[in-house]
Amino acid sequence: MSIKSSILKRSIWVFHLNTGSCNACDIEILDALTPFHDAERFGVKLVVSPRHADAMLLTGPVTAEALPKVINAIEAMPRPRMIIALGSCGCGGGIWHDTYSTIGGVNKLLEILKERGIVVDAVYYVPGCPIRPEALLYAVALIKGIVSKKREMKIYKAE
Amino acid sequence: MLNLEETTKYIELASKSGGQAKIEGDTVFITIPPDRLVDVADTIFNKYNTSFRVCAGVDERPLNGHFSLVHLFTDDKAGLYVAVKTYLSGESPVAPSITSVVPAADWCEMEARDLLGIEFTGRETYRLVLPPWWPSNLYPLRKETPYNYRPEPRLESEKLGYSREYGVIPLGPYHPALHEPEYFELYVEGERVVDVKYRGFHVHRGVEKLAESRMSYQQVNFLAERICGICGFVHSTCYALAVEKAAKLDVPERAQFIRSIVLEVERIHSHLLLLGVAFHLLGYDAGFMHIWRIRERVMQLAELLTGSRKTYGINLVGGVRRDVNEEKKQKTLEALRELGREFKNFIEVAISVPQVKKRLTGSGVLPREEAVKLSVEGPVARASGVNKDARRDLPYAAYKYVSFKVPVYTEGDNLARVLVRVDEVFESISIIEQLLDKLPGGSILLTDFEIPEGRVGVQVVEAPRGGDIHYVVTGKGAPYRWRVRAPTYANIPALRVMLRDQPLADAPITIASIDPCFSCTDRVVVVRDGRIEEIKLTQLVK
Repeated sequence: MSIKSSILKRSIWVFHLNTGSCNACDIEILDALTPFHDAERFGVKLVVSPRHADAMLLTGPVTAEALPKVINAIEAMPRPRMIIALGSCGCGGGIWHDTYSTIGGVNKLLEILKERGIVVDAVYYVPGCPIRPEALLYAVALIKGIVSKKREMKIYKAE
Repeated sequence: MLNLEETTKYIELASKSGGQAKIEGDTVFITIPPDRLVDVADTIFNKYNTSFRVCAGVDERPLNGHFSLVHLFTDDKAGLYVAVKTYLSGESPVAPSITSVVPAADWCEMEARDLLGIEFTGRETYRLVLPPWWPSNLYPLRKETPYNYRPEPRLESEKLGYSREYGVIPLGPYHPALHEPEYFELYVEGERVVDVKYRGFHVHRGVEKLAESRMSYQQVNFLAERICGICGFVHSTCYALAVEKAAKLDVPERAQFIRSIVLEVERIHSHLLLLGVAFHLLGYDAGFMHIWRIRERVMQLAELLTGSRKTYGINLVGGVRRDVNEEKKQKTLEALRELGREFKNFIEVAISVPQVKKRLTGSGVLPREEAVKLSVEGPVARASGVNKDARRDLPYAAYKYVSFKVPVYTEGDNLARVLVRVDEVFESISIIEQLLDKLPGGSILLTDFEIPEGRVGVQVVEAPRGGDIHYVVTGKGAPYRWRVRAPTYANIPALRVMLRDQPLADAPITIASIDPCFSCTDRVVVVRDGRIEEIKLTQLVK
């Protein structure tokens, strides 16, 4: 990942942004923060406002209705800003990737943000439907450099 | 099984109104001309004391050149479903509004207007489901509209309301206590809430259209589960039961038992979740953490039974995909014993904490008459003295084999709504134990069946938040029309009554007390500092 700031090696404060998800990922986020999984031991804290956040926990396929509000919330984050896209929907729109009232996940959102000149410094993808709390913990550990990536990105193209 | 006298009154009503009626299974299908709709709805709702569930618009132009509008009622005393259908013109569909006699029909009529372009006479109309900039001649649920046609999104949202007399306090759309984008606008006079406006439907993802166009019968089960991440299994069960009812399939008993067991596991997890969030909103965070620690046991139990912590994916039309063996049975019973003990120990302490008790008592009162008029569902209804529970009144799956109490409180305040859920957790534990004890042998999945076209199935399943209703018209390989109504859809209009004349500080807990399920699901929004000038909604995210 291109993110250079050593600040993020310390505590990561997250803001939870539901862009129209079904809540399964959302309750697993809360589950990760409560005593059994206890993400707070890694310094992860759920904050009240995007202005306090290092990373955005983005769930859901970004519905058309929520889009303007999502853009505003991401714009309000200070740099360096990270997006952690959670779940199948967040990563690529999931089952709703081409329905009429969504824009289809974080990649389309990044395009729109780029058009408007809003820079996102790093994007992490946590797949799963819904994500497991352990997967979220792994993502946090990855950002903090505790663990390493399991796979490298490969792009396959149909001949 | 059906009481013949109960059905004859519906048949007489239909013939008196110039329509027809037929009975299939436990459903009475009435077809009447549009001009008699208001009378018939008035008689069924107000005179026969049924509960109104939802109305569904159907684009039947490819079949017979008409639109149709189906109003669904359930006669809980007789265990009957009543579907009142009217055919509307195919070119310019106009239907009379029944909101004057059935106030609960407000939203579903507006949804039919947004998604199908059915106009309603005799009421005020407004945009409900789709964003404000959506083209006004594009109706997603009409059959000629492709499911993946996306108009260019415009990045604008509605303006905040303005009032000279009252302060306007926006709640939402984003806040950590709120896990979904929803927006409430509270009008306050000093510390007192005088009115409330709601703008939801930020999570409209086009589920129904997707199922009708891209999916097959079995795939829709998994789509239905993704309507909601908290009570998803309710939706997939409800869909499967509705299709099975339409196709008259005889599903193996064992599958029905497993469905009921998983439904109850889901109910426990959902109620614990809500209790945790309620304590959090009352500032009792120790309670929140303890409840979620206890809840983890339920999540692991779900994983043991279904292979997944959430979004179980075990339902199919015709049965389930995972069996319960002896080992799982023993582990489940053990987990339930532990859960019951821990929950009992903790909840006794939590409910008697003075700040919790004081904040919950007497706040957010929903009187019984209002609850009946608005046809509210589930724990909200039961806390206001309305004794209804689909598990007992309209038995489905394996609920007719178990005995359980339906907790009813008459206070109608936040404490009553919490206590209903506490009691239900213990009932659910007992239901699972009974079901595991009586679990019959045999197969769990029906294979080799056909689903004929043009049949209709209506099914209510009692979700943790109330009655969830699915209306399925079968088609070729996939549902022709699939209408879903989650319980929160019926409960949110009641917030207007609950919040009125309440102190502002009680607003978050009152909103949480209906356990709002916006997607359908989750919880709450928070009060920010209000401003009386007109400001853009999007600026509130700061």
